Amino acid sequence: MKKSLMAFLTLALFVGTAVLASANSKMVTVWCWDPNFNGYAMNQAALVYNKSHPDVKIDVVVFPNSDAVMQKVQAALQAGGAGLPDIALVQDFQIEQLVTNYPGVLADLKAAGVDYSQFAANKVGPMTEGNKIYGIPFDTGSTGLFLRADYLKAAGLNPAHYQKDLTWNDVITLGEKVKAKIKKPLIAFDTTDWTFLRMMVQSAGGQWFKADGSLDLSSPAIRPAIATVKKMYDAGVLYPTEGWGNWVSAFNNGDAAGLMSAVWIIGTIKSQPTNAGKWMVVPTPRLSGVSGARNASNWGGSSWYVFSQAPNKAGAIDFLKSTWASTDPDALEFYNTILKGAGAMGTFLPSRVGSNYTAKDKFFYKDQAVYHDFAKWMADVPNLRYTANYNAWGSAISASLSKLYKGELKTPDDVLTDATTMYKQSISQ
Amino acid sequence: MKAKGSFEKYLNRSGWWFVAPAMALFSVFMAYPILSSLYLVTRRWRGLRDSFIGLGNFVRMLHDGLFWHALGENFLLMIFQVPIMIALAMVFAVILHHGIRRFRGAFRLILFLPAITSLVAYSILFRILLQTNGLANNIMQNLGILQQPIAWLNDPFWASVTIVVALTWRWTGYNMIFFLVGLQNIDPEIYEAAEVDGASKVFQFFKITLPLLTPVILFSMVTSVSGTLQLFDEPNVLTNQGGPANATMTAALYIYRQAFVINSDWGYATSLSYVIVLLAAVLAAIQIRVLGGRNK
Repeated sequence: MKKSLMAFLTLALFVGTAVLASANSKMVTVWCWDPNFNGYAMNQAALVYNKSHPDVKIDVVVFPNSDAVMQKVQAALQAGGAGLPDIALVQDFQIEQLVTNYPGVLADLKAAGVDYSQFAANKVGPMTEGNKIYGIPFDTGSTGLFLRADYLKAAGLNPAHYQKDLTWNDVITLGEKVKAKIKKPLIAFDTTDWTFLRMMVQSAGGQWFKADGSLDLSSPAIRPAIATVKKMYDAGVLYPTEGWGNWVSAFNNGDAAGLMSAVWIIGTIKSQPTNAGKWMVVPTPRLSGVSGARNASNWGGSSWYVFSQAPNKAGAIDFLKSTWASTDPDALEFYNTILKGAGAMGTFLPSRVGSNYTAKDKFFYKDQAVYHDFAKWMADVPNLRYTANYNAWGSAISASLSKLYKGELKTPDDVLTDATTMYKQSISQ
Repeated sequence: MKAKGSFEKYLNRSGWWFVAPAMALFSVFMAYPILSSLYLVTRRWRGLRDSFIGLGNFVRMLHDGLFWHALGENFLLMIFQVPIMIALAMVFAVILHHGIRRFRGAFRLILFLPAITSLVAYSILFRILLQTNGLANNIMQNLGILQQPIAWLNDPFWASVTIVVALTWRWTGYNMIFFLVGLQNIDPEIYEAAEVDGASKVFQFFKITLPLLTPVILFSMVTSVSGTLQLFDEPNVLTNQGGPANATMTAALYIYRQAFVINSDWGYATSLSYVIVLLAAVLAAIQIRVLGGRNK
């Protein structure tokens, strides 16, 4: 009995190994980090691809978070490429660091025939280096201002009046009215993160860096944006929170009447079913008095990259091209599926016609078709240069901003001087 | 004589075989990284682009205000946290050993439990408890102890206090266990003799317990001090990457950020690590000198 079991297991092991070995040339390995979001989306893409390529196995490996993927990728690159997957998901704000510090490790997909004019411009920017374009854009971080329509009504205001392109000055006036009437700050605000300011600056087409990666704070949007954040903070329009969890509970529990965030927060907002019918989303407010300011910005998003030393580079590129960058009806339907299934909004512009993009959403005030709106704003988002120094600058200016809120620093120029000093120390320039 | 010599040789040889696996692992995972880090120190390293800069990393370090600030924070936390924790651990150990008879096991468990809690898990819990609208502030405001909520995580002073409190919660029980073991190793007859001579409990504690526990205290202090120098998880998770405004940035967190977050600059991060190792060694030597001198 025992012996036959052993024999069986040994046999199974051999057969298994043999199957694996024969499948290796037909296997594409993908590293990503969220089983319910990007992992789910990639598995859906695999289903579509397997219809026409049933012999290719797409192996989606899910890591705990994006840092874990980056660290493992960097370790593999340091080891000369040993253990690299074929495809890895990288955050948009980190990709330029990878491209700069690890020259030549990514496959040029423009040369492989991908038509990048079909993708949202702000997604293609970070993955472009000279004539080369790496990667296939995944999700958008198209932003909007979420507001509690019921709170606006309670403050004696008509929500419909605010469902249009606003300026930040309009928002401050609105916030003061709401605060005066119902004693609630308008916007839940994470004081530990500089994203709010960054979104404002990006919406006006502002940049923090020159193309060569050196810091350049001359963009006309930067100082008005800092002044606006400070003004809102001092006016009590912002509800200060510390970090992610605190921030989420502030808007889900109704401590604040709204928040600035991106399309991917919808899942989090819906996790509080008692708020059904109360939320509405309006376009990202724009900075007044700054030329080129738009009512669209971006927060977050990541993209798929193929390594030039990938074990199955050709297979990986073919897989990405025929799913994520294809106008084939199946591929477009796949974008429609992941929007509904995971709230993942792709950035492939022809995909925005799917039924889930135009559907009215009962969770939102007056059944607003939120995905339709975010998708519309997405095409308008100005490109932001992240460069290799984005993280260093982000942590420097976050620290300076928290001094601004406390009043230790007074003017936008104080903030920029303070942050620049810290930034230069941390990257030694 | 000759036979014994060859037997010794035989023992010697098999001894080497026994330690060989450990030595092999040690060479690959300890000796080699330490040696290769000497090479890293001399380089400006960004991913696959690196260049020789000699002692450039150390020159850079001299001008790196944030690193010195972080090191200062390490020392500040150490000066306040280690004595508080050691004293508390001692008090708990003495109470558990001499003071109470019933539920001794239960109390020991309660005190030791924090030490086996995951660093990240407890940091997140403390974070939730201590946020401005969190449980701690709410309770104290409802009881009327506080008028205004304390910005435990958002004020530079209170953020450091938060870390001291969190560290003390996490590590007191751990050190208490060493003291308990030490106490159990002290011969009860010594106390009986002191009792007969009419020595008070307090006198007994300072003249018998403390001196006899010196080696254990020394061990606790050396490990705690070097632990505080390497402090990473709490400032990373609890106070959100050394916040507010880098107030609770520690050296180890800064090293991690240089290597993995800000720059992928392994060379500079390694050079900073050398400073920490050196400091830990010097501090340990000082403590051994001061506390351990009597035994020599």
